[in-house]
Amino acid sequence: MKVARFVAALWLCGSATVVAAPQDEPPAPAAEVPPVEPPPEEQAPDGEQAADEAAADAAALDAEIASQELSGDAQVRLDAARESVVQIRGFFHKSETSAFHGSGFAVDDGQRIVTNYHVVAQAVLHPRQYRLEYLASDGRTGPLHILAIDVRNDLAVVAAEDLELPPLRLRSEIPAQGERAWSIGFPLNLGLTITEGVANGLVEDSIVQRVHYTGAINGGMSGGPALDTRGRVYGVNVSVVSGRQLVGFIVPARHIPPLLARAREPMDQSLSAQQLRQRVTAQVLAYEAEVLDAQPDSAATQTVQGYALPTQISPHVECSTVDESSPHVLVSVETVSCWIPALIRVQQGVHVAGLSMRHRILQSEGLHPLQFERQVNSLAAAPRRTGSAAHVAAFACRDALVSLDGFDARISTCVRQYRLFAGLYDFDVTVVGVDDERQALVSRLALQGVSFDTGKKTMERYLGALQWRP
Amino acid sequence: MLVEQAGIQGQPILRQRFAGAGTECRIGRDLGCDIVVDDEHAAPQHALLTLLEDGRVNVRDLGTRNGTRVDGKLVPADVGAIIEQGEIIVGRTRLRVRTRHVPMGSERLFRREFVRRHRTLLATAGVLACVAFGGFLQWLDAPSSMLRSVTKGGLVALGLIALWTGLWALTTKLNHGSWHVRLHVTIASIGAALCAWGYWLAGLVSFTAQWPEIVQIGVAAIGVATLIAFYLHLREATHYRRRMAFALAGAATLVIGAVAWIVAFGVEDGDVNRVNLGPEVRLGAARVVPNRDISDYLAEVDELRLAAARERQKSLLNAPLADDED
Repeated sequence: MKVARFVAALWLCGSATVVAAPQDEPPAPAAEVPPVEPPPEEQAPDGEQAADEAAADAAALDAEIASQELSGDAQVRLDAARESVVQIRGFFHKSETSAFHGSGFAVDDGQRIVTNYHVVAQAVLHPRQYRLEYLASDGRTGPLHILAIDVRNDLAVVAAEDLELPPLRLRSEIPAQGERAWSIGFPLNLGLTITEGVANGLVEDSIVQRVHYTGAINGGMSGGPALDTRGRVYGVNVSVVSGRQLVGFIVPARHIPPLLARAREPMDQSLSAQQLRQRVTAQVLAYEAEVLDAQPDSAATQTVQGYALPTQISPHVECSTVDESSPHVLVSVETVSCWIPALIRVQQGVHVAGLSMRHRILQSEGLHPLQFERQVNSLAAAPRRTGSAAHVAAFACRDALVSLDGFDARISTCVRQYRLFAGLYDFDVTVVGVDDERQALVSRLALQGVSFDTGKKTMERYLGALQWRP
Repeated sequence: MLVEQAGIQGQPILRQRFAGAGTECRIGRDLGCDIVVDDEHAAPQHALLTLLEDGRVNVRDLGTRNGTRVDGKLVPADVGAIIEQGEIIVGRTRLRVRTRHVPMGSERLFRREFVRRHRTLLATAGVLACVAFGGFLQWLDAPSSMLRSVTKGGLVALGLIALWTGLWALTTKLNHGSWHVRLHVTIASIGAALCAWGYWLAGLVSFTAQWPEIVQIGVAAIGVATLIAFYLHLREATHYRRRMAFALAGAATLVIGAVAWIVAFGVEDGDVNRVNLGPEVRLGAARVVPNRDISDYLAEVDELRLAAARERQKSLLNAPLADDED
């Protein structure tokens, strides 16, 4: 899905969601901290919400909308959650000014704070360089330490000594499409803010679970709670589609309890920087084993001009035939593109566990073979690779002329390693079919942030499926 | 060369020095001559001395009735005589000529005998080869307007050679007093044509033989060709001796090579997005080596695990991770 790709486009520095609570009533573990309850005047909408959860009653919903004033509603939500939400700020070394900031909120016993992994990623990956602090609604500040991270779901649990806030209740089920929702956080460092919108259910066909929220989310709100009509946390603000309008994404709250179960001692103090990076790598590899390494029931291929081109080399691959302008008027190109979006962000600007495959069949319409081969070579060399020297090392390459199924090809394989994550590699495989003077295959497989073994296995599957049956 | 006119008792009464290959000295009664002799037996324009590159002098008679004698022998009317030193008799006047002759090496003899004789042919062939390459490159791109592009490619090649030749010919004119255009065209165009066509052919061979190193060898060959061309230009255009010319040509080649390297690869060599796809694919080209087996190739891909780790080590050495004390 195109949308899934866009999700990666803009991540908010921000906060997270809370542990799933029993559906009916959230237990309030700390006696002195009353659970956050909607004020009495909100009872009517709450009642409506319950009805909605069961199966929305349209007439009742109309009545609800007619009976309440929206702005007042948001104010009530914000007041109820105000004390539970903190701003999370990261500082470089002893610096007084923050390097990054996001949001977070108290859950469970009120001592643990949920936020996004990407809000605290710098502190996880460079624990000697960055420190975290919270800023509570009453102006208190203090150091935070990291208890647990979930890279796949972009969640983290942090805590501060002697900090106990009124916890928010969690709601584990996904809001129905059209349900009213609110998001709270500190957008662009402008102070505590609430936005109002509509939850649109889970994003379809997405590998990672996200609720689609139609409402404003901005940088700095990451990690902030996403609330339903009863003031329960149904998810954590995580990202928006940049350049579009009000398309935001929320991590469902159901992923919080398992993480809380793991959140015991501060991992950023017990583990070395290297061990923390290995932990991040291990989570990426576990995700990848599920998504990239899985064998499809049947390896699907698409046949174009006699070439059998691998498409479904993993069950999660999506394909499309894109309209690509030909490099030359006398060369026609048919393109099949397939991909798994790189949805896992391990570091700012570094998304991993992605796959992209592009097969292009070129046909000469009257070019001299010397002219045609020039077009083929320039197309094979055309892809611009992206990667920053801050994050990855240089490629190492091997090329050879190899006999594949039914045709000969030059295969060039290039591999590079991540600087921070020794277990992650980028693979870049280019295949150029060399047998015909009027028709050529230029195919490329690119893998982002995979283990070497997964990369090689995927590459073998890809090469094994390429065929020419003219 | 030093030309001395002897008086009645044999003592020199006039002494004049001429320097630079190609310099001419006209002798006769005419006031326009370089050496004016007051001799009624001499013609107004009697003899012409030309200083040659190797330091010797070509003595020619300018079609006089009495002729010109060198050491008593009459100079042949058509080709003249080449001397290192001697006594020239013009009418009744005796002129002593002395030179500093340096014997010519075989390389100069070759240039003199072969290149100079065929310089028109060689220059034409070289220019055609360069213009053809310029046109060929344009043709390879299969442009929409073939005529315009091929003409453009040819003209660019022609313009570059003209500019380069002009510089060297001017140097020659300043140092020797003559232009030597065809010689410099020959050196420049043949050198460039060898480099251009040679490099293209090396690409073909590297695919056909699956021998990627040939491209490196080709680059080295281009370096050698550049060195030789510079050397020949310097020898033609200046008075530098062999060693000096060689040293200057070497320095120029190094500078040009360094600039080309920077243009091609950039100053930083740690470009993390550069991939080496191998020799360009030639469709339907005859290949002289059999294809690799896929399992052999995949085994070779395993080596990339180590190679990539080495690149990472290199990267970490260049720029260590900020908190790598662990």
